[in-house]
Amino acid sequence: MEHARNILRDLLHRALSEHGADAPALVDVSIQPASGRIAPRLWVLFANGYSTWAPVRPDDFYTICERYGAWDLLGLRRALLHEGHDLYARMRAEHLAEIERARARRSVAASLLERLRWAGRRRNAAASGREDQLPRRSEVQRRLLEWWAHQRHEYARTAFFAHDFSGEVGSKRAQERGLILLKENLAPDQRQQYDKYGYFDVVGGKSGKRYRIRHGRQMNIEQLDKNGRRVCGWCFYPQGGLVAGDIMLAQKVALELFEADALKIANRF
Amino acid sequence: MALQIVMDRTGDTRHEFDASDATGVALAEERFRQLTGKGFRAVALGRDGTPGRLLGKFDPNVEETLFIPQLQGG
Repeated sequence: MEHARNILRDLLHRALSEHGADAPALVDVSIQPASGRIAPRLWVLFANGYSTWAPVRPDDFYTICERYGAWDLLGLRRALLHEGHDLYARMRAEHLAEIERARARRSVAASLLERLRWAGRRRNAAASGREDQLPRRSEVQRRLLEWWAHQRHEYARTAFFAHDFSGEVGSKRAQERGLILLKENLAPDQRQQYDKYGYFDVVGGKSGKRYRIRHGRQMNIEQLDKNGRRVCGWCFYPQGGLVAGDIMLAQKVALELFEADALKIANRF
Repeated sequence: MALQIVMDRTGDTRHEFDASDATGVALAEERFRQLTGKGFRAVALGRDGTPGRLLGKFDPNVEETLFIPQLQGG
């Protein structure tokens, strides 16, 4: 059950991420059979026409088949749709609540900024009069500014590495093709890692160092130490305005087959 | 059938050729020469995501060749 639910959750999360507060209603869930090199896929369709998919394996569905007694495609589809509706309703409610919380945080930050400006104006005005209060005020302002800078830094960092922030280019079709090509050329554990977390790890062909390639087009490679902690970031990508899937595959191949050349070109951050 | 996969803005463009067909092989070799001349790197893809190998010259027996455009730092 958990496998199928996790795949569904990822797909539903994509729709919520892409549509913000206007998250569309879930319309259909279907399984498309394998075709050529393309593995079987679970498709999810939404009311506004948006659809998304993920590759699946038969054993992903054993538990859900058992639970619902669904032993044909039609029955499985009904079971998935039922699960999808339940899951999506909860995720959508949480998503909307999170949007509200973010709005509230922004408003707190705006009022804090206004207070900082106001404090600055007052300090200038009272510079000659009450010198004795200035050190305390300056300390408070310094702390507030530090806090503000920290918030901005945190926001930039998390937004940059968020799964759905990748500065995507190309049509939906091109993006899908890129991801299909990527997944066809990931090892099973890398594919699982990517599906679950939005990144996969690669071992450098020359140095044996471990790199983490996150979903994205730029500044998406991290070098890890033996404990899995970030050592630094690397940025390199193929020219030509390629889609994310192609870029991540090129980065994987480069680190595995011509690591030194790639890092010579790359910028470290 | 052998396959050449060229990364581009559409995701990729795929060219199939029969390794036993001289014309197809000649076309594939010419494509290989042109792309590598433009700075693309040719890679023989490994199976199941295992690291493949970098190709310095055309090999008609490689099952899948991936062409990656020149890299740049970001």
